[in-house]
Amino acid sequence: MTYTFEGYQRSDGTVGTRNHVGIVSSVICSSIVVREIADRVPMAVPFVHANGCAQLGDDFQLTKNILVGVTKNPNLYSSLIVGLGCETNQVSGMLKSIPKTKPTKGIAIQELSGGKNTIDEGVKTAEQWAEEAASETRKNFPLSAINVGIMTVEPDESSLHQTAPVIGKVVDRLIDNDVNVIMGMSKTLEPAGRILSKRAPNPKVKQDLQSLSEGMRRGRWEKVQVRSTGLDEWSEEETDLSNLEARLTGTKSIDGLLNYGSYPEEHGFNLMRVPSNIVEALSGLASAGCAVVLMVSSRGVFTGSVALPSMTIAPQNEDDFEDELVDVAVTNDDSDQQATRVVQKIIDICSGQESKLEELELGEFSISHSGTTY
Amino acid sequence: MKTFNGYRRKNGTIGVRNHVIVMNTTGELAGLTKKLANLVPEAVPVTHQTGQMQYPEDIQQIYRTLKGTAGHPNVSATLFIGMGQNDPAETIAEELQKQGHHVHAITVRKNKSISLALNEGRQWLAEAVKRSHLEKMEMADVTELTIGLECGGSDAWSGVTANPSIGAFSDAIVDDGGTSILAETPEAIGAEHILAKRSVSEEVSEQFLKIVDDYESRALAIGEDVRSANPSPGNITGGLTTLEEKSLGCIKKGGTAPLQEVIPYSGKPEKKGFIFMDTPGYDVESVAGMAAGGAQIVLFSTGKGSPTGSPIVPVVKIGTNPKLYKNMPEHIDVDSGKILEGTHNINDIGMEIYDLVMEVANGKLTASEKNNHQEFAIWRLAETM
Repeated sequence: MTYTFEGYQRSDGTVGTRNHVGIVSSVICSSIVVREIADRVPMAVPFVHANGCAQLGDDFQLTKNILVGVTKNPNLYSSLIVGLGCETNQVSGMLKSIPKTKPTKGIAIQELSGGKNTIDEGVKTAEQWAEEAASETRKNFPLSAINVGIMTVEPDESSLHQTAPVIGKVVDRLIDNDVNVIMGMSKTLEPAGRILSKRAPNPKVKQDLQSLSEGMRRGRWEKVQVRSTGLDEWSEEETDLSNLEARLTGTKSIDGLLNYGSYPEEHGFNLMRVPSNIVEALSGLASAGCAVVLMVSSRGVFTGSVALPSMTIAPQNEDDFEDELVDVAVTNDDSDQQATRVVQKIIDICSGQESKLEELELGEFSISHSGTTY
Repeated sequence: MKTFNGYRRKNGTIGVRNHVIVMNTTGELAGLTKKLANLVPEAVPVTHQTGQMQYPEDIQQIYRTLKGTAGHPNVSATLFIGMGQNDPAETIAEELQKQGHHVHAITVRKNKSISLALNEGRQWLAEAVKRSHLEKMEMADVTELTIGLECGGSDAWSGVTANPSIGAFSDAIVDDGGTSILAETPEAIGAEHILAKRSVSEEVSEQFLKIVDDYESRALAIGEDVRSANPSPGNITGGLTTLEEKSLGCIKKGGTAPLQEVIPYSGKPEKKGFIFMDTPGYDVESVAGMAAGGAQIVLFSTGKGSPTGSPIVPVVKIGTNPKLYKNMPEHIDVDSGKILEGTHNINDIGMEIYDLVMEVANGKLTASEKNNHQEFAIWRLAETM
């Protein structure tokens, strides 16, 4: 059977699960103005973050890429970029990098002589878009029209034993249905790179996955000064846990290994390098075009992404503290039946049902750093 | 001697504001923290996306900044929201309580659901706000004030009007026994020898030269030239051509007083007088560092018009040119462009700043406060893990 859901068709041909008007801050200095605009306009969602100025090279490029990527996310009807004026991440530069396929506009505080004018101008634009977006209706689409994101949050052995067989099946079914799946690969999954590499037909992807499994290479403050990168080998415990986490990826071929926030070139199953910070990881998946994300966790997670519905899947808890945060509680019942429940929940949420985190209005946005600020 | 009425804290410091704040220890809780602050009028959320999975040098810096912010003299009470078994919220709260601060920690997931946590948090915050209204004010003098000196969105006039005026103010407050903190290490590059010569000792001079040198070499080590992030696009359209030029203008904020001490990001000065703090040039991170180090007010010169503030300290904006003041009056407190119009000299504006600092210390709201500018970010050192 083919999975279908009710989604919104965008002017660039993509299909979204939500109908937001994005108000995107180019730099921290315009974040108060961005929040104010979003507060005043129904359907408007603020994208504020701590980056955008005094950044160099790769670190700056990362910020710009993620922000440009987010404006392309299918859950956004349109995007208003709000800048200050003197920042490194110039609004004009962002506009150049954003394809003109969806309504997009840029404004800046210094250009408009102050925050109040900028808020007025921004509200005017956003209100008009909100009106247009409100007339959009959900239509039936195959689930293969969207990218589904998956990420692991604080995995531990006992929870993975419960969730991995179920999620592995969910992933396989999604792939069989031609759905693009992007799974976040944080450092907990890196030790399993060798095992995962066996499923990668592309030699470059195979090689990259293998090298990730060798140990953790990261640039850090002190070591960067002596031009060396730390290589810490994984412990046996880290490797065992990682191999268990790898079972979440199902059994199909691994078609790509993406850098943080990059859009997949290969249809199918992609892994994406993400930081362990949940909000930063979610922003990367949003930038890669995911329209929904499954957070597979040992527990309820306290935040989702402002860009996309974030649903939590965790083992059923005996003491019921966190049930208010969990969308699907996994039990020891038949894993096929449970996979069916998870897929149904994905379809329901993609079709408009609110996830627990959406009900609680807990969503954030933040961008990773690859270096220090200046 | 100039005096003001402030809030005397149990540890002896004196605040010029009386905020009740809510802070998260880890990024995952930023949303919950904002939600909680929204439930209580007057409670201010101070949130960030750091604290999770970072290298030790970052973690130390984050906790130092969180503690400095929560225990700041302008803060009447702080509620920390933490998560799980190994969260530092409770330890930080205990440490601050021992120093006499009114601090409480709620740890979700350990034994509390969200609704329980929100309920407990709301009650504690409502009490804390009530309690803050009863705090008595007492008179203090300028020797107890520490003023941070920042510049952001500089133009070619910054080094001619606003920064030298801030320098005149800095010299005056240091003469009166107060303290001023200059920051933004990368913006001292190219002008470091001038400041180093003013150090009170060889040791302080070496410390200062070292932090400047480290900053530039860290950038070079990753194949980048710090001189390419600075001057920023806005600085260049503002008429600045090189980082040296920006630096020469930037350090004018420090006046002529001897350099007493070099302190780390969000560290507390031990000396009074003129101090340098190691911070990035990135305004919001730099202001957050000086605030966490105990500055009660920050002066911030701007040529292009930067609106940012701080959740805990009043930020005073000093415009560098008359055009900016006419264009963006809602964001500027002092117009040092009057120097260009010939009606005032540097010293006049320096004294105007000093008078305004005392009024702000007495409770007068600044432009950034009136517009609710409460940006907050902690300087990140290493890559996110």
